[in-house]
Amino acid sequence: MVDAAVAEARDSLSNEVDTRAVPRSRWRELLATRASAIFLLDVLLFIVFTVLSSHGVFASLADVKALLLAGTEALLLAVGLSLMLGAGIFDLSLGANLVLSSVVGAKIINALAITGPNGTATHVGVAALAGVGGALATGALFGLVNGSLIAYARINSLIATLGTLGIGMGIAYVVTNGSDVAGLPTPLQQSFGLRTVGPIPLPALVALAVAAVAWLSVRFTRFGTRTLAIGSSRVAASRAGIRVTRYIVALAALAGTFAGIAGFIDISHYGSTVVNGHANDALNAVTAAVIGGTLLEGGRVSIPGAVWGTALAVILQGGLVVIGVSSYYQLMAVGGALILAVGLDRFTVQRREQG
Amino acid sequence: MADVDQRSAGVAIAAEHVRKHFGHVEALRDASLQASFGEVVALFGDNGAGKSTFLRVLQGIYRPDSGRIVVNNAQVALSSVRDAQRLGVDTVHQDLSLAPDLSVIDNMFLGHEVLRRRSLRAVGALDRRRMAEQTEAALRELSISLPSLRVPVRDLSGGQRQAVAVARAVMWSSAALLMDEPTAALGARQSEKVCELIRTVASRGLGVVVVSHDLPRILSIADRVVVLWRGATVLDVPSKGLTVPDVVATMVGYRQEAHE
Repeated sequence: MVDAAVAEARDSLSNEVDTRAVPRSRWRELLATRASAIFLLDVLLFIVFTVLSSHGVFASLADVKALLLAGTEALLLAVGLSLMLGAGIFDLSLGANLVLSSVVGAKIINALAITGPNGTATHVGVAALAGVGGALATGALFGLVNGSLIAYARINSLIATLGTLGIGMGIAYVVTNGSDVAGLPTPLQQSFGLRTVGPIPLPALVALAVAAVAWLSVRFTRFGTRTLAIGSSRVAASRAGIRVTRYIVALAALAGTFAGIAGFIDISHYGSTVVNGHANDALNAVTAAVIGGTLLEGGRVSIPGAVWGTALAVILQGGLVVIGVSSYYQLMAVGGALILAVGLDRFTVQRREQG
Repeated sequence: MADVDQRSAGVAIAAEHVRKHFGHVEALRDASLQASFGEVVALFGDNGAGKSTFLRVLQGIYRPDSGRIVVNNAQVALSSVRDAQRLGVDTVHQDLSLAPDLSVIDNMFLGHEVLRRRSLRAVGALDRRRMAEQTEAALRELSISLPSLRVPVRDLSGGQRQAVAVARAVMWSSAALLMDEPTAALGARQSEKVCELIRTVASRGLGVVVVSHDLPRILSIADRVVVLWRGATVLDVPSKGLTVPDVVATMVGYRQEAHE
């Protein structure tokens, strides 16, 4: 703050070039981002919970694995949503998409894998591949519908995806008759859903890889730049010759595909669909993305922020349970963190604009 | 300013006897203007005189009902903004059309991004180093100095943003630059700087058409003045000797007969 005041004073003295927009050093810039703040909060909470848990059990390998697995699906949704938010569009239907994709995947697997009398299943490999394909295709198609409604029918993305949220869940209930698709072959869990590579669960690795690719795209590619341009100023983007409608459809389909991956991870983790367990997923994704510094208004995306935002929710959830506090308080804590993070940001933005 | 005229090589952009109507409304009856290479032409007119429509015809947004459009000494038919851009005509919009969250560099290359080579090209990886170099060169060419090219455009002052928008349009145009109210959102000092910049752009060889309400400033930098009145060009003269009261009188329709 003192630096800023000094810079202001120096500025008013030298009239030649307005130098207020000089960037800080990369290191300082990184430290000042919301993603870094949330990361530090994550670390702090992790240490606190470890100290408070008996024998430091919170930091045990089993617990960390559980945390990673718990955050996997949420992260996939948060990353997809962040990209959409970058272009200034919204998706409330990601949870419904996840459920529908998981149902389609589970149905396909159960139809193709032949389960013997003693529980052993054959053709699991083929069935699993077909299941992955089905789940991903369903997710992508779901997103494609969303994107078309937003881009071509010009329906507000909030309304369009609120509609497809209902339709998607409805279809999932109709297909399953309201009960979960259970009895998926156990090799599915052993070879993917519950498998770990070193200390990291394989599904979490998939989600982290998706996040890494998304981060690279946002920072270093034409796709990312144009996405942010659309969210920053749709008119400017389209005047620059960017095909805005195509981008919107592609982004929605991409987020849908990530939801499809999450759907497959869901069934390979639990060995069954969890139709009723994802009602808040889309909103949790919004929370994770926005808490990490992605702007709801578009134009600014932080994929690391989405990672740390997702981690915050997961750490609070797991940590409160470990120290014996009802996990109901997790909802309050995450809600409070969201408001605090965005509120502090508004405060600093106002200061900058007044300054 | 006259010597700029001597150096020019013909017509950068021109419109001759353009008519354009929307339903029963005749927005343009007989609009003409001509900007040679290296020349600044001011397009003045009262509200509703047809300036915006005329500008949109030159941008390729509207097709005229009749009349000729000339770009780079050749008659053309513009059916889209892309068409105009391909022929070397670019626009600095009143709202600047910048993406405030993107850096100066990314804004300069929006829609024209430079990609890396080989396999990185396939994934659309940006060559930001080359983009930065070209941005620096383009800004230097116009004597624009910015504190940094990597900060979001949002953090720049109004005049600096205007400069970026102009530099971008200059970078991608080879014949003419159309400017819509370039000084409308700026303070006195920044307006002066933008006017200097307009002269610099013209001295680099482009034809410049400036639509503005800022009569005194634009009059002082224009080579020619065109005044539209109820959809028709009623004045098209060199700016030399012309005063603001002259222009105002013509704009509101009192003195058009005196120049005919």
